[in-house]
Order: sequence, then structure tokens, then C-alpha cells
Amino acid sequence: MRNPWAQTGNYKTDYRQDTAIFATYLEVLSLWAFLAVLLVLPFFLSRPQMFVLDLILVYALAVLGLNITTGYAGLINIGQAAFVGVGAYTAALLAPSLPFWLTVPIGGLAAAVAGGIVGIPSLRIKHLYLAIATLAFQIIFEWTVGHSTILKQGGAISMPRVEFLGYRVGYKNHYYFWYFVILLVVVVLAFAFRNLLRTRFGRALVAVRDNDRAADAMGMHPGLTKIFAFALGGFYAGVAGALYAYLSRAVVIEDYMLPVSIKFLAMAIVGGLGSLVGSFLGPAFLVLLDLNMEDLANWLKSLGLSYAGVDIASAMRPLTFGLVIVLFLIFEPRGLANWWRLVRNFFRNWPFKY
Amino acid sequence: MRKLGILVFLVLSFGFAQKVHLMWSGAITGPTSDAGKYYAQGVEDYCKYANEEGLTGGLTIVCETRDDQYNNANTQRNFEEALERGDPAFLGYSTGGTLQLKPLIQEVGMTYIPASYHIGNIDPPNNDYLFLPIVSYSEQVIALLEYIAKEKPGAKVALAVHPSPFGRAPVPDAKEAAKELGIEIVEVQEMAKGLDYTATLKRFANKGVEYIVYQNVAGPVATMIKDAKRLGLNIKHAAAHYAGGPDLLRLAGDAAEGVIWVTSYYMPYEDAPGAAFVKKLGERYKRPADTIESVHYPSGMLAAAIAIEAIKRAHTAGKPVTGDAGREAVYAEMLKLSFDPGLAVGPVTYSKEDHVGVDHMRVLEAKGGKFVPITEPFQSKLFRKVHYGK
Repeated sequence: MRNPWAQTGNYKTDYRQDTAIFATYLEVLSLWAFLAVLLVLPFFLSRPQMFVLDLILVYALAVLGLNITTGYAGLINIGQAAFVGVGAYTAALLAPSLPFWLTVPIGGLAAAVAGGIVGIPSLRIKHLYLAIATLAFQIIFEWTVGHSTILKQGGAISMPRVEFLGYRVGYKNHYYFWYFVILLVVVVLAFAFRNLLRTRFGRALVAVRDNDRAADAMGMHPGLTKIFAFALGGFYAGVAGALYAYLSRAVVIEDYMLPVSIKFLAMAIVGGLGSLVGSFLGPAFLVLLDLNMEDLANWLKSLGLSYAGVDIASAMRPLTFGLVIVLFLIFEPRGLANWWRLVRNFFRNWPFKY
Repeated sequence: MRKLGILVFLVLSFGFAQKVHLMWSGAITGPTSDAGKYYAQGVEDYCKYANEEGLTGGLTIVCETRDDQYNNANTQRNFEEALERGDPAFLGYSTGGTLQLKPLIQEVGMTYIPASYHIGNIDPPNNDYLFLPIVSYSEQVIALLEYIAKEKPGAKVALAVHPSPFGRAPVPDAKEAAKELGIEIVEVQEMAKGLDYTATLKRFANKGVEYIVYQNVAGPVATMIKDAKRLGLNIKHAAAHYAGGPDLLRLAGDAAEGVIWVTSYYMPYEDAPGAAFVKKLGERYKRPADTIESVHYPSGMLAAAIAIEAIKRAHTAGKPVTGDAGREAVYAEMLKLSFDPGLAVGPVTYSKEDHVGVDHMRVLEAKGGKFVPITEPFQSKLFRKVHYGK
């Protein structure tokens, strides 16, 4: 008889069971437990720690978007920060007159429109050429912001403090309030991401990635599918940008420039391209790695192991970032998501492994 | 016995001295770290010196330099940590990071001293707690235009600015000032990472440009100066604070000869007490020659000196120097701060209306591989009229 709490064998008899999100009650329970932990986590963290946590979740949203465009649809995008920026600037312009629960989705929609436009070259070009087209969008975005007086030429556009149900968010509870907002958005969009492959639109993304001519022959529209991938990836990025604008209290061009796009790509690769779990593990790993390397470097510096003028911290942080990406590319191209899969499989039938 | 008594007193006083943390967050790595690493060393060394020489009013100032890698999110996290810990003031760095933090700085009332001399830092809104150590980029560029107008009335000038808020900030004021001075700004060119500026320079030459004024960083300025020399153009180059200095001499070599540069700091080889002090500190803390020669080293020292002086005065007046009350007390001292640490060409003075510390600067010219002053310390005559309308 099938045990609903553990996978003791393959009892799947129809397609619906095969595409079910949760195979056992244990998986449902662990998800609820994880969400419960996330809900109580703010009670144990200081404000700076909350900022880091918020940042990881915002980055995760942007990486989820990148995983739709690049991971699912195979369209290399090195302009993700510009899509995030479109969402952020849209929110900044609308924030004085609209509440945040409207500016955030509108920011996402604006970035989706931008994604749809940027996706047009993908109808004719692929691979490295498409990557350069997205790079062009990144450069055009930076130039446009830098020369628009309405966008303060890249200088700061302040975000107003928000009020929610008559409650004004001040600096003491800023990161806590936005944590719950971001968490809610992340949960909704992560479920949407997880369900995408269960829809014909999502399966079309993978089919077009693997062979667009075959997908065309099977009745899919490769062109529209690619534009859809860019628009949807842009939507996720735009929502992330709008949330980041509120989180950082101002929008400044430096937060949406090319190095940030590269960082998002690195997070997607380290996490595992096309993976939901990897979209969270990648940003968390790289952000926490940087913080820990900073602490380690400062500790070494305090021991006096650093010659005056040669700061260990100077070398350790960028070197570690580069080294981690190279090591992942060589030894674990499937990213941290693969480690997660191995650990999960180990415990799936535990303690009766065989 | 007396010596032992002094030793015991010193040990006890050090052990029991109240500790106050002061954080600097800037780019030790990443973009602009060529300036940031020296700035950080200046902060560290002045802090050590102030503690060792008893310039802290009996407090122990624990200075912490954090590498934010020119990343605004890192700056924000560092600022939050300082705020959480109860630091009374904060030393910042980049233009973007400072502008982004302005609303938060205003809300929490933390004195903030950036390395960016962007006028927008101290312009409304949210500008009460921001203090520039020296004159703004806008005032520096206008001072250069004033100098040019005196040297060559009716001169044709091109502005070569960095493509960022840092570079663009002085442009509107410079255009207004040029009108007043009767000189012509024929073009504003944004430049950052070009490998060859032949086309730009040829265009400038065709338009009759006689001076190029740079609000930029030293790298692209050096490339343009070298190209101008290679092309044999008769154009003079004038650089604002971050565009010139010893870094430019290193990068441009002989081509830098004759470049004029405006700054409020002394050069380490000058016969001035401030210059000798910088050199002494660099040698005392075993800094390499390039640190001591860099203009960013005394810049970091000055920022630290201002914050430490305000903290010391608040403490000496019997006020708290940590937490919410500490921030208030230090801010109150900043508003009436007037002292001369000797690190720049004028005293540091602040008031409720004046958030610029050192109001003076000098024009220097590159001669024989060194920048030598060619003016006495002065203030821009036009800046206030152009920027504030008074």
C-alpha cells in the first residue's frame, strides 16, 4: 500500500499525479514548516540583518525572472539589472501619487513591456548575438536615465514613506514591514514560477529552447514564445526593482548598471539555471559569502597579518566571488540546486534507503 | 615609582575610557578604489593618532573602515549597523550612496560626512545632517572658470565630465557662471572609458576650444591629456579635485606638464605645517610612498578629524556621545564647529546655513612632475550668486 508520508515506490498512474507539485504529505508539511520559520524569523533578527534578508529575497525575485528568460527559454540576458531598473524608476515616479500595492505591480508591468520590446530581436538572432542585444538594452537604459531630467540624470529619486491601513512605516520597522510585503510577493511569484512548467506556455518555453524548429512544427509559435519569455522575465525583474526602490528609500542609477546584471547571472549560475530552489540558494549563497568574507578579512586584519597598504579585505572579497563562479562552472554547472536535490533524495526514503 | 603611577593611570584610563565607534564606508575595492583605499588609510591613521595623542577628550574612538565596493546596498547595510550600534556620526564616500541615504540620514538625524563633494548632498531636501569637508565640485569648477576668465578673458572652454551624477553636478552652475564671466562653454562632453580621444579633441580644436575643464576621475583625464599632446593641440587642461593630483601625474607623465588643478589640500612636499603633518603620520604608521603622496590620504584624515572633533566637544560639554542623544549632541556641535586641523588650506567652519567645512581652495599647476600652488587660498566669488542666487 502506498505510504502518503514517504515515497516508497512509484505509484503514479496518470499524468496529473506525474505533474503534482507535492509527492508526499511530508513535502507539504516541510513547506509549511519552512514558511512558518520565515514568518517568525524577523523576531530574532536585528535591523541590519533584516536588510540583508530583504535584499536576498529581492535578488531572488530578479533571479527567478532571469531563470525564466535564460533558464527555461535559453535566451541569454545580460541586461536583467536594466529591467529591475525600469521597475524601480516606474515605482519612483508613481510613488508620490499611488499606493505601493499599485506601484509595485505597475513597475512589473512596465518592465514586462520593456521585456517584450527587448525580446523582438530574439525573433531573428540567437545565442551570443542575442546576448549582445540585451547588453545594448542595458547600455541604452543607462544612457537614457543619465540624460533624463525627470529621472534626475541618475541621481537619487527619494521614495516616500508608505502608509498601510493607517499605519505609517518609520525607520525602526522599515525592514520588518517590507520583509513581510516582499515575502508575500515572493511566495506568490515563486508558486507562479513553479506552476509555469505545468502550463502549455511554460512547456513551450522549454520546447523552443531545446529546438525551436521542432516546437514550430508541433504548433507552437517560437517568436511569440520568446517575447513572452522576455516579458515574463521582465515582469519579475520589474517587481523586484519596485520593491528594492522602497527598500532602499531612493532610486539611484548605480544600483541598476551592468555589473549588477553580471551579478544576477552569477547568482543564477551558482544557484542552478532554471531551478526554483536555485533562484533562492544562489542569491543567498553569494550575499552571505560576501558578508562572511568581509568578517574573515576584518578578523585577519585585526590580527595584524596585513601589511600596511596591502589590505587583505581588498583582495579576499572580489577574489572569492570570482573563484566561486569559476569553481561552480567547472565542478558543479548544475549549481547549488543539484546539491539540494542530492540531499533531498538522500532523505526521501530515509532511514530505509533501499 | 612616579613612572609606575603614570603607567597604571594610563592603563586604567585606557581600560575605562568610554569607547565610541566611528565607521567609514567606502570603496577599498571596485570602482574608484584608487581613491578610496588611500581615503580609508587616512581615516584609520588620523583616528589612531587622535587616540594616541589624547585629542579625543578622554574617549577612545574606535574607527572602523568598511569596504562597500562602491555598492549602495553595502553602504546602506553599513550605515544601518552604525545606527544600530549607536554611533554618533558616519563617514561616507560615494555620490550615489550618499544621495540614496539622504532620506534615512534626515530621519534618524545622523551627522554624515561624505567623500563626495557633490552639491546635491547639502542641497535640500533632506540636507540638514550632511556636511562637506571641503568646497563642492560646483564651486571647484566655477573657481577654475574664474581663474581662466582672469588668465584669458573671453576664452572658449569645453567641459569634460564623468557620465554620472558626480560628473554632471557642476554643469548647470558652470554654464551660468560662464555667462557671468564672459567666457563661452562651447561643449559639454561626457567621457569615462575611452581609449582614444582623437576625434573629440579634433572637434574641440575645430570649435576653437582653448581650455578643457574636467570634472572627472584621473584615468580618462590622463588619456585625453596624452592624446592632446600627441596631436600637438594648443589646449590647456584644468582639473577639479578628483580629476587631478598626483594620480594624474603618475598616469599622464610628461603630458601633464602645465595642467592646472584646484583643491583645498596641501601637497606632501610643500613647506607647510599641514603637509609636514600628513607626511609625519604616513611615516609613523608605515604607509608606503604612494599613500603619503596621494591627495586622498589627507582627505580621509580631514573627514575623520572633523567627526572626532565634534564628538570630543560634545563629550567635553558633558553630553552623551552614543545613541539617539549622542547623535543629537554631535550634530549640535557640528553646527557651531570652527577649528583648524591644519590639513587643508583653510579652517573648518560650519553653521546651520553653511555645511561646507573648508571654504578655501588653491589653483596648482603641474611643473617638473609636481603640482605647485600658483594662487593663494581663495573662495569662489560667483558660486554663491550662481547656485543660491545671493
